[in-house]
Amino acid sequence: MKELTVTVRRFDPDVDKEPRFVTYTVRVSEGARVLNVLHAIHDSIDPTLSYRYSCASGQCGSCAVRVNGEPVLACMEEAKDRITIEPLNLAVKKDLITDLVPRLDQIASLLPKTEVVLPKKADIDAIKPLKDCIECLCCVSACPAVDVTKFLGPTAMRQEMRLALDPRDSGDRILDAVRDGLFTCTTCQACWKVCPKKIETPAKAIEKLRAHANRRGFTLPRHKEVAAMVKETGRSIPRTSESFLEKVGDVIEPDGPVKATVGLFIGCVYNLRQQQSALDAMEVLKRNGIRVIIPKEQVCCGSPLIRTGQLAYVDELKQRNIETFTSRGIDTVLTMCAGCGTTLKHDYQTPFTVIDINELLTQYGIEAPAKLPIKATYHDPCHLMRGQDIHDQPRELIRQVVDLVEMPSICCGSGGGVRAGNPDEAAALGKRRGEEIKKTGAEIVITSCPFCEFHIAGHTDKPVKNIATVLLEGYREKDRKTAAGKD
Amino acid sequence: MLADEVVDCHVLVIGSGGAGVRAAIEASQYGDTVLISKTIVGKGGCTTMAEGGFNAVLREQDSCGIHYEDTLKGGAYLNDPELVNILTKEAPLRMGDLVKWGAVFDFTDADEIAQRPFGGQRFPRTCYAGDRTGHEMMMTLVDRLAATDVTTLQEYTVIDLLRDGDTVTGAIALDEKGTIVLMKADSTVLATGGGTKVYDISTNSSSGTGDGYAMGYRAGAELIDMEMVQFHPTGAVFPYDARGRLVTEAVRGEGGVLKNSQGERFMKTYDPARMELSTRDVVARAIATEILKGRGTQNGGVHLDVTHLPREQIESRLPVMLEQFLKFGVDIRTAPMEVAPTAHHIMGGLRITPECRTTLPGLFACGEVSGGVHGANRLGGNALAETQVFGKRAGEAAGKAGKRQKTADERQVDTWQKRLDGFLTGSMNPAQVRKKLQLAMWQGAGIFRNAGALEETLQTIRQLQTVNLKAASARNLAECCIVQNMCLTASLICRSALLRTESRGAHVRTDITATHDAEYSPFGHTFVSNAREGIETREVKA
Repeated sequence: MKELTVTVRRFDPDVDKEPRFVTYTVRVSEGARVLNVLHAIHDSIDPTLSYRYSCASGQCGSCAVRVNGEPVLACMEEAKDRITIEPLNLAVKKDLITDLVPRLDQIASLLPKTEVVLPKKADIDAIKPLKDCIECLCCVSACPAVDVTKFLGPTAMRQEMRLALDPRDSGDRILDAVRDGLFTCTTCQACWKVCPKKIETPAKAIEKLRAHANRRGFTLPRHKEVAAMVKETGRSIPRTSESFLEKVGDVIEPDGPVKATVGLFIGCVYNLRQQQSALDAMEVLKRNGIRVIIPKEQVCCGSPLIRTGQLAYVDELKQRNIETFTSRGIDTVLTMCAGCGTTLKHDYQTPFTVIDINELLTQYGIEAPAKLPIKATYHDPCHLMRGQDIHDQPRELIRQVVDLVEMPSICCGSGGGVRAGNPDEAAALGKRRGEEIKKTGAEIVITSCPFCEFHIAGHTDKPVKNIATVLLEGYREKDRKTAAGKD
Repeated sequence: MLADEVVDCHVLVIGSGGAGVRAAIEASQYGDTVLISKTIVGKGGCTTMAEGGFNAVLREQDSCGIHYEDTLKGGAYLNDPELVNILTKEAPLRMGDLVKWGAVFDFTDADEIAQRPFGGQRFPRTCYAGDRTGHEMMMTLVDRLAATDVTTLQEYTVIDLLRDGDTVTGAIALDEKGTIVLMKADSTVLATGGGTKVYDISTNSSSGTGDGYAMGYRAGAELIDMEMVQFHPTGAVFPYDARGRLVTEAVRGEGGVLKNSQGERFMKTYDPARMELSTRDVVARAIATEILKGRGTQNGGVHLDVTHLPREQIESRLPVMLEQFLKFGVDIRTAPMEVAPTAHHIMGGLRITPECRTTLPGLFACGEVSGGVHGANRLGGNALAETQVFGKRAGEAAGKAGKRQKTADERQVDTWQKRLDGFLTGSMNPAQVRKKLQLAMWQGAGIFRNAGALEETLQTIRQLQTVNLKAASARNLAECCIVQNMCLTASLICRSALLRTESRGAHVRTDITATHDAEYSPFGHTFVSNAREGIETREVKA
């Protein structure tokens, strides 16, 4: 037996105006789950604590709650000391019981055709990965789009895709998915990262449905414009000034001894809009022994097309990009853009290793910059943190140059074609980010993705800086101090 | 006084597992149907947790006759032969309904429904969807239910059946806030599932509290073979709070082997012909014996090992097992599981006819709450089939039954109101009563039984039944009612176990020496009702 102290959010609509947090100390067995802690409170401290459960073995999806903000199944999540247990981010009926039924009712049902059709094994095999869902609604709780739009949520889209694959179903699932918010998903990946069954809804359902929608002509006009531009120029945004690739040479040699050689995949936004951030990054790499080869014939990675279901031209882009690096014998390709990085890592099959700049710099270690007297917060780019599991590395770098205050990791609203296709939604999510930034009291916001950098800048009065820029400022301050010392 | 809220319908279905939802789907073709559920439909009950599969004869090499014989033999010839005949003949049809409605069962390379071997069956006839078969069925049934005009009342707890004389005329329920709701119906279908939550170690969901047995008994229905409790051979043993969690028979169906702490495949001494795929009663007793004899693991189990199977097979056929054990720190691809018996299924229940009529007019029963299909031991894969075969039958018979004057006994409602008020001023935490009951049942009415221990357990239960339960708020009233139902169901198990003075199937009396094989037993069903109790005798075959 062991003793755990936990805090539970209580709310009785008949009595309470606001939810209240109550702390309990309970004795539970070794290996106890969050559900066992709730049982212990209910059975021996306060029988009025309300929570829902049924199978207690991860199969029915009744008991999902948030533990320290993350949606989990109470019956499967090991209980730890000092945790905070809250209901899912849905309408609360009492304490930890949320109103699941209206959300469950929105998930589509199979409508059998009048004539009897039987599936083939191939159909079953295609459907099965989407059938593990236990409708616990962890994904809905975590989805940022659900909060600000009428999006029915990730599992509703999973079900539309499951039905679209089933020869027995008579419904028009593509039309329904478009109606129910298919294009509001920012592909932030939060849904499947919290999914107890790890169903990859963004890639396996949403992007697939968008591809079907594309063939049916439902692609949003703004997304079509982007696709047309990629096809015409190889780039997803227009050229308005000298591009990064035009500004730099073919190879950037480091100042000191070479620790590593990488090929740079720049991506459209750094190439054409946020060139300064990319140039700053080159300075940082130069200073830290990284030799950078920059092939000029590289093109868009295809992410804006893949995320929006416009796949027709993607294979050609992939082939061109892969050829660009392999023809030079490059075995490691560096990405700075979170979106390009996740695309190269997951949507490509590359003969070379793909590494993000945060991974690279922490792997080889950096020269210590001067510590700047600045309080900063960090925005996790979805396609870095969830797409590439890069969470600690940027923080390790940031802490060397400024003071870091954390804020919750939530999508800024710029991904998945939402900024272009659903600007109101992107703005609503951006505004939420702005509010979180304000709460931290930070003087600057740091991020490591050009989309986030650009989008967040429109929703906060604090400067939004690339992680490379901040490091470079640290080096400049260091150099200034050194120079001043010499004087 | 009558409650303020009254729901009136043609068919009332109580319970939202596989049997209840199937019954409601069928009944809705004949009139207004209400499905009332203690949980959210599709999430509660045990069907959604059922992992292994659904027995149905689908191949030419197999036959309903063989399925019938396997089921009777597995059930130690205590089954009602007519119910078994219906089960085996209609299981393939009900399987067909599910597939037509969109169920995603595993298929073979020849585009046929795949089947795996299960214990006690001479043909691999267990259809499956990985190891989440029941969940797949429930999702399909809930989809289908949504296409009907059945009214669902979710998270309402039925606390008693309404009566008019001997006739059942509906039910009394509590909503989530503890307010009484009266449900009046021409026909009432009990589909409340099982009740092995009366044991300390059980595979059941939170709703496996035996309410249907208790409510049926109180209303005057007769129950048969309540001593027949299936202990599933393989439940988890670690960590403590996960004890009893089902480790599906599919693990052995896929080739998993049982070993004691000395590394011996001990089934060779208990059933060398069928080994791990012997019937559940035999395997459960074998494991319990190994543990009792000191050949168990440190955590009090035996090893169940699939590490010799290809990883791909484990990952695709047993994904839930893999995930559950990984969560508790065991990778079943590289390390054995530890397992021990766990209370799983009640074979007994309300006595039914082939149309699922109980002994009370107006009351039908289907699924685990009914008795007779499985006899003294259920074959793995027959319960899911039973829910569909008899769920349909109950829904159809209830739907076709005529209209009746729907009167409720006002005194019954008054009595309940007083009892509920009493809970609000009671003194004893129902959780404590539940725990005492569960421990007493595990110790005194488990796998190995004797008259002394059963009497003692019955005494404990009777004492717990007199306790003045306390509801901390109106929302806690249902909990008090449920704990009382658990006590009543447990007492029926003990009484029936005392009535059966033989060892048969899952029921083992260590104080009685066997003088006959099951096939030649002079005994039939045990029966208990509030009017009579006893054991049927039958002519012994030569």
